[in-house]
Amino acid sequence: MDNNLGVEDEVIKTALSASLEACANPKELPFVVRKVDSSPSQVVVAFPGSWSPNDWFAGDGEANSFGETKINDKKLPSLRSLRVEGFAKVNEAFMARFLRILEDSNQTFCKEVTKAVENDKQLVFSGHSSGGPIAIYATVWFLEKYIRSNEKQTSRPPLCLTFASPLTSDRTFCHAVQREGWSDCFIHFVTKLDIVPRILFAPRSSATELLLEIPPFIDPHHKADEKKMASLFASVMKSVSCVANSAACTLKGSKHTLSETMSRFIKLSPYRPCGKYVFCTETGRLVIVKNPDAVLQLLFYSLQIESETELQKRAVASLKAHWTYKDALDKSLARHNVVRLEKLRELPLSSDDPVDIQVKTIGAALNDLNLSELARLCLRAAGEFEKQKEHNRNTVKGNKDAINKTLKALEEYRTTCRNDGVGYYDAFKMQKKEQDFKANVKRLELATIWDEIIEMVRHGQLPDEFEAEKEWVDLGTQFRRLVEPIDIANYYRHKKNEDAGPYMIRGRPSRYHYPQRWRENAEQLDRDSSGESCFWAEVEELEDEVTNKRPWKEIENRVLTLEKNLRKWYDKEEVEKDVFLEDSTLVKWWRSLPDDHKANSCIKGLMPS
Amino acid sequence: MDAEASPFETSEMLGTFLASTPLPKEAWRVCSTANAMGCGAFVVEQVGGVGYVAFSGIQQLPVPDWDPNRSMLVPLDAASHGPFALLKCHYDGEEPVMVHAGLLHLFLHYHPRPDLQSQIHSLLAETKLIVITGHSIGGSIAFLAALWLLSYLKSIFPPISVLCIGFGSPFLGNKSLSRAILRESWSGSFCNVMSTHDIMPRLSLDHSLVPTPQWQALIRFWYTYMMSPNSINFANLQLTEEDKAWLFYLAVANMERLVHAEEGSGGRSFWPFGNYLFCSEEGAICLDNAVSVNKMMHLMLRIGSPNCITEEHLKYGRYVERLPHQSLKRSFMEGDLSESSYEASLSMALNSMGASRQLSIAPIAKDCLKMTRRMGRSPNLKAANLSIKLSKIAPYNLEIQWYKACCDDSNEQRGYYDSFKHRGASKREFKINMNRIMLEAFWDGVVRMMDRNELPHDLHKSSKWVTASQVYMLLVEPLDIAEYYRSGMHHKKGHYISNGRARRYEIFDQLWIERVCRKKLGNRRTRYAGSTQDSCFWARVEEAKEWLDKIKRDSKPANRAPLWDRLIEFETYAMKKVEGLEVSTDVVAKNSSFSLWLEGWRASKSQIYPLKDIN
Repeated sequence: MDNNLGVEDEVIKTALSASLEACANPKELPFVVRKVDSSPSQVVVAFPGSWSPNDWFAGDGEANSFGETKINDKKLPSLRSLRVEGFAKVNEAFMARFLRILEDSNQTFCKEVTKAVENDKQLVFSGHSSGGPIAIYATVWFLEKYIRSNEKQTSRPPLCLTFASPLTSDRTFCHAVQREGWSDCFIHFVTKLDIVPRILFAPRSSATELLLEIPPFIDPHHKADEKKMASLFASVMKSVSCVANSAACTLKGSKHTLSETMSRFIKLSPYRPCGKYVFCTETGRLVIVKNPDAVLQLLFYSLQIESETELQKRAVASLKAHWTYKDALDKSLARHNVVRLEKLRELPLSSDDPVDIQVKTIGAALNDLNLSELARLCLRAAGEFEKQKEHNRNTVKGNKDAINKTLKALEEYRTTCRNDGVGYYDAFKMQKKEQDFKANVKRLELATIWDEIIEMVRHGQLPDEFEAEKEWVDLGTQFRRLVEPIDIANYYRHKKNEDAGPYMIRGRPSRYHYPQRWRENAEQLDRDSSGESCFWAEVEELEDEVTNKRPWKEIENRVLTLEKNLRKWYDKEEVEKDVFLEDSTLVKWWRSLPDDHKANSCIKGLMPS
Repeated sequence: MDAEASPFETSEMLGTFLASTPLPKEAWRVCSTANAMGCGAFVVEQVGGVGYVAFSGIQQLPVPDWDPNRSMLVPLDAASHGPFALLKCHYDGEEPVMVHAGLLHLFLHYHPRPDLQSQIHSLLAETKLIVITGHSIGGSIAFLAALWLLSYLKSIFPPISVLCIGFGSPFLGNKSLSRAILRESWSGSFCNVMSTHDIMPRLSLDHSLVPTPQWQALIRFWYTYMMSPNSINFANLQLTEEDKAWLFYLAVANMERLVHAEEGSGGRSFWPFGNYLFCSEEGAICLDNAVSVNKMMHLMLRIGSPNCITEEHLKYGRYVERLPHQSLKRSFMEGDLSESSYEASLSMALNSMGASRQLSIAPIAKDCLKMTRRMGRSPNLKAANLSIKLSKIAPYNLEIQWYKACCDDSNEQRGYYDSFKHRGASKREFKINMNRIMLEAFWDGVVRMMDRNELPHDLHKSSKWVTASQVYMLLVEPLDIAEYYRSGMHHKKGHYISNGRARRYEIFDQLWIERVCRKKLGNRRTRYAGSTQDSCFWARVEEAKEWLDKIKRDSKPANRAPLWDRLIEFETYAMKKVEGLEVSTDVVAKNSSFSLWLEGWRASKSQIYPLKDIN
C-alpha cells in the first residue's frame, strides 16, 4: 500500500537497520551496503555516526561557534547562490568526515558507487544520527557528479534517507538544492521529541554538553541527573526558540528595523532544514512536511513544554527519543497513518475537533504534534510566504508578453540599422535619428520591467527554482544580448565612466549580471565566461587606453583575451555579424592597434576588408 | 485586502523574538552593575565580541545648576557644539530638534570625561558591535550617548553597529528628534524595554514633578533598591496612598495630553522614538510607531493602579530572566479564537500584553494595533507607486537629453540653454517646455510628500532616488533658469539663485551632499561632462553678464572695484570648471552666452585695468 512517501516501506526499514548497524560498529567500516529484498533495483549505502565532539565541531571554535565552513566549491560547485557571491555553508567536521570516506586510498566508496551506477541501480544513501549528514553530503556529491554533470552517467537520481540527523547545512544550501530541483531526493525522519535534530541550533558550548549525555540513553534503563538534563535541555531549546522566532518574524513580514539590528548582535545558527521531513508522533502518525520554513517552526514548536513542571520529564524523554526510531517507524509504517501537511495557509487554528473529515485528520495531526495557536499561525505564515512567492512568479510571468514585444521592436531597430550599414551599437551611441531616440525609450521600458524582476530575485521573493527555469534563463540571455550593448553605448555616450568608473566595475546593472549567472549555471559554463553581451564595455575601455597612449605591453593581454573571446562567441553565433561592420567602434579601435599584432590576430578574418 | 498587507499582526512575534534572545539579559546584567556603583557611575565591558556601556540609573535630578526658569526642552544643536552635529531639521517650519534640558546636562557632564572617552575608544578599536544601555534615567543618558556615537560613527568605515537598550527610561526629546532619527534610519538602534505599568517612561520630568516631596520620596526608595536589590524594605517608602495616586494620575494626565496632541499642535512636548518593547507577565510585544506607542502607554495605564507605581519600575531584572524561558512554554489562549490569521494574531498580541481579559481596553488596543499596520504600510505603497511614475516620466527626461544633444550638434553652436531661452514659436521647444513642466510637477509632488512624511523615512537614502533627482536637476534646472530670465522674472524678483530657485533643487542638492562615503574617482575627465556639474552655472553666467554690463557703463572706480572682484571671482570659478571638464559642451559652444560673456569680459578687462591683468 502506498505510504504517501514515494518510497517503499521495505526500503525505509532496510535503510534504518543498515544505518543502525553502521552506527553500532563505527570503527570497522566507513559504510554499510545493503540490498533491499523486495526491490532489487535499489542499493542502500549507510554511514555510521560518531559521538566524539571533535566529529561534530572542528577546530577550537572560539570564533566559529556553530562549526560551519564554506562548502568545497570544487567538488560541489552548484551549491551556491546565483545572487551574491556566496557558497553554501556546511558543518566542517561532518564534511571532513565525508571527504575522508570519499578520498579514501582504497576508493571503496567510489567503487561501490560506480558499481551501482553501472548496474543501473538507484543509490539510497542513509544514516542515523550523525551518520545522517554524511548521507546528505554523499547525495549532493552524487547529484553533482552523476546527474548534473555534462557527462551524465545515470538518469536515476539518488535517494537520501536520514533518521534523527542533526541539521548541518545552511539556507543557501537549501536554496540551491531547491533551485536545482533536487529536494525530492531528501527524506528526513524525525521523532517528535528527539533533541538531536535540533541540537545544532545551539552553539558549541551548550550543544557539546548535552551531546555527551545522549549515548548512555541507548539503554532504556539509564538513570541520569534529571535536574542537570533539564538545564542542558533548556539551554539548547532557548537557542532553538531564538532561531525559530527570528525566522517567524521574517515569515510574517515584520518590517521592524530593530530585529535587523538585533540579529547583528546575536549569532544565530546558520543551519536550516532542507528536503522533505517526516515527523513521527507518539501515536504512530507520520506527518510529512515539505516546506522548509514550516519544518523549522515545527522543530521548535513540537518540543515546547506545557508548563515549567514538565521540563525535567520532557528533557529526559527527548534524550531517550533519539534511540526509539526502530520501534517508532515499525509501528507507524504498519499503521499507514500518514498525513501530509499541505495547504498550510488553511490549517485550523483551534485544537477543537473539527467536523470536516479532511480537516479532522489534519487537526488530529496538529494536536499530536502539540501545536499551540501561535505555532499554527507560524505554519500558516510559512504557507503564506510560499504562496506570495508563487503569486510573484505569476505577476512576473504576466510581463513576458511586454518583454517579448519590446525585444521585437529593438530587434527591428537592429535590423534597420544594419540595413543602413551601421551597427545598432554605434547608431545608438550617436543618437542621430528619431529611431535611436525611440530605441532609448524601449531600453528604459525593458529596464523598468527587468529591474523589478531582479529586485524580487534579490530579495528572495520568487520561488527558488525561478533562476533555473529554462524560459527565464533563455529570455534573460536574449534580453542581455540585445539590450546590454545599447546600455553600454548609453553609458559611454554620456561618459559616465568619467563620473563613476568603468562600466563593468561601477555601472553594470544587476539586470544583466544576474541573467548571465543564470545561464552560466544552467549550461554549466565557467564563471564569467558568458560575457558576450558586455564585450563593448571592454572595447570602450581599451579604446580609451589606446587614446591615452597606454604602452602596448600593458594592454596586450587584455586585447588578446578580448579577441579570443570574440572569436569564440562569433563562432558560437553568440555575437552577431553587425559588430564587424565598417566604421563600427570595434573595427575602428581594432585598426588602431599595432600592425604586427593585427597581422596575427584571431579576429583578423572577421574584419571588413 | 490589498496585496501589500501582511495577514499577520507582527508586533507580538517581534516582541517574542527580542525577548527570547540573550541580549536583554546581558544588557540588564551590566546595567545593574552600574546601578550598584551608585550615582553618576558607568560601566564599560566586553563580552564575547560585543562591547557594553551602561549608565547608572541613579543620577542627580534636578541637576545642581538647573535653572528652573528655563524651558524643559532645549534645542540639541544649540546646546552642544559638536556631539550631535547631524541631527538638524530639514524643512522650514519644523520645530528644532530638542531634548530634555536636565538629561542633556547630565550627558554633557559625562561626555567629556576622559575615562569614558578612552574606554569607549578602546571598545571601538576592539569590537564592531556596541550595546549602550541603562536603567531608568541611565537609559535616557544611554540614548543620548548612542545618538552621539551614531553621529560620530557615520563617517567611519567599516561600520560599527550600535544598539541602545533602555529599561523603563523616561521621555527624552520632541517630535523633531523622533523624525530626525527616522530620517537617519537609526530607529532600529533604539529600544526602550518597558514594563506595561511602569510610570517612569510616561512622565515628563519637569518642574511640576521633580522638586515635589512625593517624587523625591519615590526616587529615594528606587535608588536604595537599585543599589542593593537584595535588601528591599517597603518600610523605607515614605509615600501615602494619596501620594501614590497623585503620581499615578500625573502620569495618566501626561499620557492623555500626548495622545491628544495632534500633528503640529502638540507644541513643545515630548515624543517617543525608536522601538518600545512592552513586557508583561504573559509576554512581550514590540511597537515602533510613535502614535501607537503613545496610545498603548495610555491604554495600559487604564488597567494599572496607583499601587503598581513603586514595583513596576524595578521589575526588569525579573523580566529578562523570565522572558527567554517563557518562550519554551506553550502559550495558552483563553476563550474562542478567530480562525482569521490576523484577528488571531491580534488576540495573541493582546494576550502578551496581559490585556486580553481587560474588556474595557481590549477593543481599543486592537484598534490601535490595526492602525499601526495601516500606517506602516502606506508610505511603502506610496513609494512603490512613485517608482512606477518615475519610470513613466523617464521619456520626458530622454527627450530633453535628446534636445540638448541636437543643440550641441547644431550649426548655431549655442547650446540648449541659449536655444531654449531665445526660442521662437517652435514646435520642438514647445514640446520641451511641456516636458519641463511635467517633470517639475512630478518632482514637486515628491517633495510635497516628503514634507508631509508620506514617504518612507529613508527614501532619501536610496541611491535610486538620489541619482534620479540629481540627473533631473543637472539636466533640467538650466532650462528653468533660461525660462526665468527669458520671462524677465529677474527684473521682478531679483536674480535666480537667491530669489527664484525652487525649493526642490535645494533639497536635491542637500541629498546629494549628504550621501555618505562617496568615493572620489582619481582619474581626470578626458572629455566634457555629460551635464554641467553645477546646475546653477547658467544663473551665475546671467549674473556675471549683468556685472559686465554695469562695469562697462560705470566709470567710477569706487563702483567698479566690487564688480571687478566679483567678475574675477566668477571667471576663476568658471575656468576651473571648464578646465576640469566639469561643464558640458553646451557651455563652451562658440555662440553660447558663456562664450560670448567670456569674450566680452576678456576684451574689457584689458581696457579697464590693463596693468592689473599682467600682475
